[in-house]
Amino acid sequence: MKRSLGLLLVALLTFGMACSASTTPGGGSAAGELTVFGSDPPTLDPALMSDTSAANYVVEIFSGLVTLDRNLNIVPDLAETWDISPDGKTYTFKLRKGAKFHSGREVTAQDFKFSLERAADPKTNSHTADTYIGDIAGVADKLSGKATELSGVKVIDDQTLQIQLTDPRFYFLAKMTYPTSFVVDKDNVSSGANWADKANGTGPFKLKQWSKGEKIVLERNPDYYLEPAKLNRVNFLLAGGAAMTMYENNEVDVSGVSINDIERIQDPTNLLNKEFSIAPLLDVWYIGFNVEKPPFDDAKVRQAFNHAIDKDKIIKVVLKDLYQRANGIIPPGMPGYNQGVKGLEFNPTKAKQLLQESKYAGNLPQVTFTIPSSTTTVDPVTEAISEQLRTNLGVEVKIQQVEWATFLQDIRRDARRNKKNNFQMYELGWSADYPDPQDFVDILFHSKSLDNNGAYGNAEADKLIEQARVESKPETRFKLYQQAEQLIVNDGAWIPLYHGKSYFLVKPYVKGFVRSPMIIPSLRYISVEK
Amino acid sequence: MLAYIVRRLLWTPFVLLAVSFITFTVATFGPGDPVQVLMGQKNDPVIVDRIRQERGLDKPFYVQYANYVMGVLRGDFGESYQRIGQKVSDLIFSRVWVSVQLGALSLAIGVAIGMIFGLIAALNQGKWYDPVIVSTALLLSSLPVFVVQPLLAFVLSRQLHLLPSSGWECAFYVGPMCIGVFHPKIIMPALILSLGPIGGITRLMRASTMEVVNQDFVRTARAKGLSEGAVRWRHITRNSILPVFTVVGLSLATLVEGGFIAETLFGIPGVGRLAVEAFFARDYPVIMAMTLMVASAYIVTNLVIDIGYTFLDPRIRLR
Repeated sequence: MKRSLGLLLVALLTFGMACSASTTPGGGSAAGELTVFGSDPPTLDPALMSDTSAANYVVEIFSGLVTLDRNLNIVPDLAETWDISPDGKTYTFKLRKGAKFHSGREVTAQDFKFSLERAADPKTNSHTADTYIGDIAGVADKLSGKATELSGVKVIDDQTLQIQLTDPRFYFLAKMTYPTSFVVDKDNVSSGANWADKANGTGPFKLKQWSKGEKIVLERNPDYYLEPAKLNRVNFLLAGGAAMTMYENNEVDVSGVSINDIERIQDPTNLLNKEFSIAPLLDVWYIGFNVEKPPFDDAKVRQAFNHAIDKDKIIKVVLKDLYQRANGIIPPGMPGYNQGVKGLEFNPTKAKQLLQESKYAGNLPQVTFTIPSSTTTVDPVTEAISEQLRTNLGVEVKIQQVEWATFLQDIRRDARRNKKNNFQMYELGWSADYPDPQDFVDILFHSKSLDNNGAYGNAEADKLIEQARVESKPETRFKLYQQAEQLIVNDGAWIPLYHGKSYFLVKPYVKGFVRSPMIIPSLRYISVEK
Repeated sequence: MLAYIVRRLLWTPFVLLAVSFITFTVATFGPGDPVQVLMGQKNDPVIVDRIRQERGLDKPFYVQYANYVMGVLRGDFGESYQRIGQKVSDLIFSRVWVSVQLGALSLAIGVAIGMIFGLIAALNQGKWYDPVIVSTALLLSSLPVFVVQPLLAFVLSRQLHLLPSSGWECAFYVGPMCIGVFHPKIIMPALILSLGPIGGITRLMRASTMEVVNQDFVRTARAKGLSEGAVRWRHITRNSILPVFTVVGLSLATLVEGGFIAETLFGIPGVGRLAVEAFFARDYPVIMAMTLMVASAYIVTNLVIDIGYTFLDPRIRLR
């Protein structure tokens, strides 16, 4: 669930769904229909999907052992309870009795074993398996074709599933909330390549219709094992169009608000103002430095660049206050977020001084600032940053815009082929895949992590991150990540810029709708009271 | 003549082969890698290699190309890289079908209005509404879509709530075919997209009518005492429509191309949008199939034009 800054506005216009914890009194029969925008997903196969557009539907149609509630806590789903062995390596899940697929067949532990083995089968071609279920013993062997079975998954009886990890990993359950490990029906899957078009899931909604490019219709599953949905139908319009006009013309019940409409909507005299709400997003936008390329191999240069950027001004002037300043890496709203993280503050004097103290004082090489972009115009944020570097630091950076596919190819590091990141300095964003700071601090900054594009390494931070991997107490784990985060910020590994928010309109008759910063199953709480 | 047509048809596969070879080469050696786009920001060389192997992307260029051509000969354009598990042929067909419906409806509206405008203008030469009609038609057709769309959407949808502003929906299905022309959502985009043809058709119709009006057979018709209505309908209109039909007929081939800007603006899942999405995602199988489709459409159109000329002008001989 990553995206580039260039896709930011698109993200503002589309949305996932969730709802508030306060609403939804029980009882009442299902009624009503909700119509919202959706994106056409590349696939609805839980083992293959990897983007937010698909996740929106998959979490409603399918389900797994555990899920996230509206406050992003990990809660039981198809597993009613679980035990974790004292060494943190064995998880024993007790499945919910009577939970059924949409076809009416009961879900058993064998189904989970099948689903996990299928996800790890090289023939399935899942590119999420390694990330989300790679901690399970045997997955690596299965993925590389060395084994046919998953040694780490054992069926004790119909209702009991045991999963063995290679090492204790306390973010394992967080990863299990991601669809890769969701349960699928063997007969359904073996019905052909397009099996997910007729998905037989276990979730609160059934896939009623998927007309590619046109719409997806979900229908209430009356036999859902938890409290069934209040809505009868949810229509996702995939074709897009003029979002705001469609909302005002009652063609959709919910709409994202684009940057151009924000000012008009925020005006309290506007009739739509009452239907407007804002929610945080679990992401961070940043400028990355490649420490393998001069001058950013010198921490002083990176710190100088950090101190030269006035983020508040950029957010206020260019971004109309739609974003929140980022001091650190972990976004607010994420478990383990540190309100006290100390960012490198805007201070031009200090910036110049640091540059003087660096080994590149007086002979700074040409710096090229690369941004992923498909347009020919420079986006105003990039322009503001280069202007601030010019006036506050006296550094003239060259701006290079690279189309997304090429950007991805150039930024990748592949040690086996001795391929390095081609960029010196680049603009990018990262958003959470699962609510654990490991998804940010470990994945992006551990010196051995494949997603550490900037090749940053700090032995002390590595040690803290490794300790966090095996620490069972959440508070202690979060502390460790926060300490590592502070070290990384101090080193100027990035210039963290800002965290996003989503802006949207909801019709007053739609009850129980609040956007969650993560995509969680939440349609079943919504009701339409016209 | 027959020999010419046969020869042209025999050449077609070679032209398509050349087109496919050039596209395939550019796609393979151009920047960007479809597997990495699929992976997004996630970097794992091992998985990238595995997917590449699974899709045969690790094979030498000529093997990949040969495999592709063999597939196409069997009618198999492969599976989309980006839309996992979806057959390229299904994907393109459904999108082309949407673009064709919208294109055909807007062309029909444009042609109908354009012909009426042109006819009225030509039959009323010298009166004040001749220049008014012609300049109105030209003005309408020079308004860009992105100017008209918000304007109409504001008035017709937001203020008056008369029409859906944008989007696409099927009114019903005939088998797997989505019939969108009967859904109210098509009205606004079709109206706006018909503005383009109006200008051209009005001028064409006006010019051709004026030519016919001065012909001998029109004078003869009037001289033998036919009513003015009969002269205008049977002798003038029917003869002046011919060139319009030729132009419209030839532009039918372009319907399969769709239009990216209009389709994005109106939220219509047509083939133009699919093309742009496929380019950015480096979805080679989709790009290749679309290139071949458009190339074929042009080859057929050109052949029809060439043959058509020999009928229109007997002095042209094709050998």
